[in-house]
Amino acid sequence: MPDTSTGVVVIGGGSTGAGVLRDLTLRGIDAILVEKGDLASGTTGRSHGLLHSGGRYCVNDEQAAIECVEEGRILRRIARSTVEDTGGYFVSVTDEDHAWEPRFVEGCRRTGITCERISVDEARRREPALSKHVRTVFWVPEDGHLDPFYLVVGNVESARRRGARVMTHTEVSGFLRDGDRLTGVRIRDSKTNEEGSIACQSVINATGAWAGLVARLLGVEVKVVPVKGTMVVLSRRLAHAAINRCHKPGDGDIVVPGLSVSILGTTSAKVPHPETLPIEWDEVRRMIEEGAMMLDGVTTARAMRAYAGVRPLYDLGAEAEGREMSRNFAVIDHQERDGIKGFTSIVGGKVTTYRLMAERVVDVAVRHLGVSTPCTTAEVPLNDRDEPLDQLRHRPSVLGVPKPHGDDPPLQPLLCECELVRPQDVAPWFKDPAVRDLEDVRRRTRSGMGPCQAAICSYRLAARLVTDRGVDGPSATRAMADFLETRWRGVRHVFWGSQLRNMQITTGLHMELYNVDRQLMLQPTPPLAEGQGGSRVVEPAEVAAQR
Amino acid sequence: MKTDVAVIGTGLAALAAARTVQQSGRQVVLVWPGLSSLYFLSATVDVLGYPTATAAEPIAHPAEAVARLIAQEPTHPYARAGMNAVEASIALMLEWFKEAGLAWEGAIDRNFLLPTATGMPKPCCLAPASMTAGDLSRPQPLVFCGFTGYQDFAPEFAAANLTRQWGAADVSAVRVTAPGYGAERLFTSIDLARSFEDAAFRDAVAGQLRERVTGDGVRVGVPGVLGLTMPNETFAAFQRAVGHPVFEIPTVPPSVIALRLFDRLRKHLQEAGIEIIWAAPAHAADVTDQRCRSILLKAAGHELPVEAAAYVLALEDWVDGAFRAGVHTVRDPFFHQAIAWNKVPTDRTAESLFASQPFEEVGYALTDRLQPADVNGKPLARNVFCAGGAMAGYDPSGTKSRGGMAIATGYRAAQEALAA
Repeated sequence: MPDTSTGVVVIGGGSTGAGVLRDLTLRGIDAILVEKGDLASGTTGRSHGLLHSGGRYCVNDEQAAIECVEEGRILRRIARSTVEDTGGYFVSVTDEDHAWEPRFVEGCRRTGITCERISVDEARRREPALSKHVRTVFWVPEDGHLDPFYLVVGNVESARRRGARVMTHTEVSGFLRDGDRLTGVRIRDSKTNEEGSIACQSVINATGAWAGLVARLLGVEVKVVPVKGTMVVLSRRLAHAAINRCHKPGDGDIVVPGLSVSILGTTSAKVPHPETLPIEWDEVRRMIEEGAMMLDGVTTARAMRAYAGVRPLYDLGAEAEGREMSRNFAVIDHQERDGIKGFTSIVGGKVTTYRLMAERVVDVAVRHLGVSTPCTTAEVPLNDRDEPLDQLRHRPSVLGVPKPHGDDPPLQPLLCECELVRPQDVAPWFKDPAVRDLEDVRRRTRSGMGPCQAAICSYRLAARLVTDRGVDGPSATRAMADFLETRWRGVRHVFWGSQLRNMQITTGLHMELYNVDRQLMLQPTPPLAEGQGGSRVVEPAEVAAQR
Repeated sequence: MKTDVAVIGTGLAALAAARTVQQSGRQVVLVWPGLSSLYFLSATVDVLGYPTATAAEPIAHPAEAVARLIAQEPTHPYARAGMNAVEASIALMLEWFKEAGLAWEGAIDRNFLLPTATGMPKPCCLAPASMTAGDLSRPQPLVFCGFTGYQDFAPEFAAANLTRQWGAADVSAVRVTAPGYGAERLFTSIDLARSFEDAAFRDAVAGQLRERVTGDGVRVGVPGVLGLTMPNETFAAFQRAVGHPVFEIPTVPPSVIALRLFDRLRKHLQEAGIEIIWAAPAHAADVTDQRCRSILLKAAGHELPVEAAAYVLALEDWVDGAFRAGVHTVRDPFFHQAIAWNKVPTDRTAESLFASQPFEEVGYALTDRLQPADVNGKPLARNVFCAGGAMAGYDPSGTKSRGGMAIATGYRAAQEALAA
């Protein structure tokens, strides 16, 4: 991989890193984002997708709640296409919940969260699926659904239009230093192990739960506590709005409607490493049981899969653990703290406040570069145009990214019938060198995320690797198998009812009709094929030409 | 409703059982819970493709391999059915196909090696004549041909894989445009198959193929959409118009090749006056003194009892909804037995999707006579017999043997039912 140079290297392709990249380019600073996996493949893409009104934090974590209120309003302006205004309810079902209500109401008042108590009858009229256990209901209109994939891709594409570069599947393996000053990063292609370097004036560590591991490469400590959260996806929306338990945040106390599904969240458990995220049956069971306390139909709905993400909690040195820890964030100026010039970390926080986090860390990093251009990310919409953005369901091409749910006339060909993804929605991504495997296509288009879990579309996507990229047969087959295996890892945890039936179609199709299992046996590890091997920096002109 | 034998199921096992009873001259009623599992699974009759789920080398001579398997594994469904049933069921089905006007080929002493839509060779014993020109034990060069805008068969993908084994000189890919279809229209295999019923459409496609495919001794592989019915003479005429041997390759559900088979056999049974009860899942069996007196079907708005002297449960375990999997317990619809229990749902699966899956092995425990049995091996009912995927302890995916096992056990279960 060729060596290159830039002003600022951003490490991490989650919502924070993507926000940082865009923030930098809006201030006129040349930047490269380096991500060891794919965009939104870490914490962001594994969130439950709640755009927080702040209601969940207003009692214990006032600062985080206030930030959520403000950022939620900003996102509805600048990233309209990634937000669905579902609103939310906080419901009490037990005596303990009931005792929590006054504190919740007071918390909302103090932090400026719009909150209205409504009668249970009225709540049932609006949400007929509320369970019989529900005793008190608060309407919180500013809860919403935030599409984490589109948020990240939207930020990155906006930055690319301004000349920023993106290197996915590229790991930072070390730093280049000149005395106490960072002069660049050493990078390695995660798939080919090819090495290279990027010379730069400043590095921003926006790797969330991985921030401590990255900082350790420089011999400095950043205390991040990786806390696992497990979620279950149900195949349909059980409620129109987000349903929260009105109590101290705990396991399984939220049901988020997102696009065509409902997501039950979440558990909370410290893990030794951000990539050690085993899903336990007990977590899945608890999520379903707790969800059923609030909503009817949780136990009988079709569970599609389970997944786990990792929260990047920052240890401020307090005694708090896991959920008790603040969802606040902190900027670490390593020049000030550790005497390393040109290195800044951003830790903690959450997807809802990604923009503010980016603003704060970029403020610190560019001050050292002598740049005083103010942040404009709260004003400039993600589509970079002076026109209003539509709601999520009319996700427009103005974002500059293909939309998964077309608003064109029906009966167009579909590549993924479950998620209504059209061939032309995926086609551009096969031309984007930052997209390296079918998982990357999934994150950008939602292909394979519906009830059949890629049984049908995996073949169509793999075929495109051959036709659009010139990949050889064994590599395309391996890509198809890997894609299905990733889906399988989530489905296995909810293996009953309709989803089990569905998987006999998947095995019947891929093992009996295609004979893929034998094909994999004959080709243990295929050589990297043309178009797959080697990462290269995507030049802006090239990206523009491809769109 | 009363009959001699009631056969419950929609797949090959049920069809083989019904045919067996029909041939004996006794009365049979077929009960279909829903869509045929054939639509979803293999379009061919796979007797035994590989000796084990992990063997890489395909079986060339299934008769010998099945005989070895029977000798080695006495509780295997093939052992319970017996070699005679394996051979007799193949003869039964081939003869039936012929009588019903379906051109099928194959014999117990050899496997075809047919290319799949990914280009991987797959062993199978019986296949429609419209598929067998693709047999990879023949040396002739292949041209895979797809249709513009049709996503479920990518000739480039199939060719890219087969090239690994065959060399680029002998494998190639082309695409033609089916009249009225293209990249801007939503269509399925069924739409294409319906269009292929039309002679002008067939001629237009054949004309393009004749133009695009050149070379001596070349054969042309197309997706399995050449008509919903495709009478033998139509296929022959199409090949003549193309100027090369043509073979179909089965595609994702709904599989037109399987549909063609199923619909023809269904009509053939109905023409012979055999009663079929549609879309009526069974939900209880009345068992007294170890005999099943009747089964209760959920028909539209009412319950329909079916009384038979004997019953054949010829079910696929999951796709046709035979078994209900709760979070921990799997139950059957007849005896309401808990036929499997798992501490955690993950235990029903293997870590890899492409490994042998425990959930495929869920089913009734069996007696030597294929009766569903309780934990002590005692029959749940003396006049009920089991066939196909509903039998416990066997995963046909890895060994590619679903169809062969279905017809052998369907045949054998029907013989037992006739004797009961």
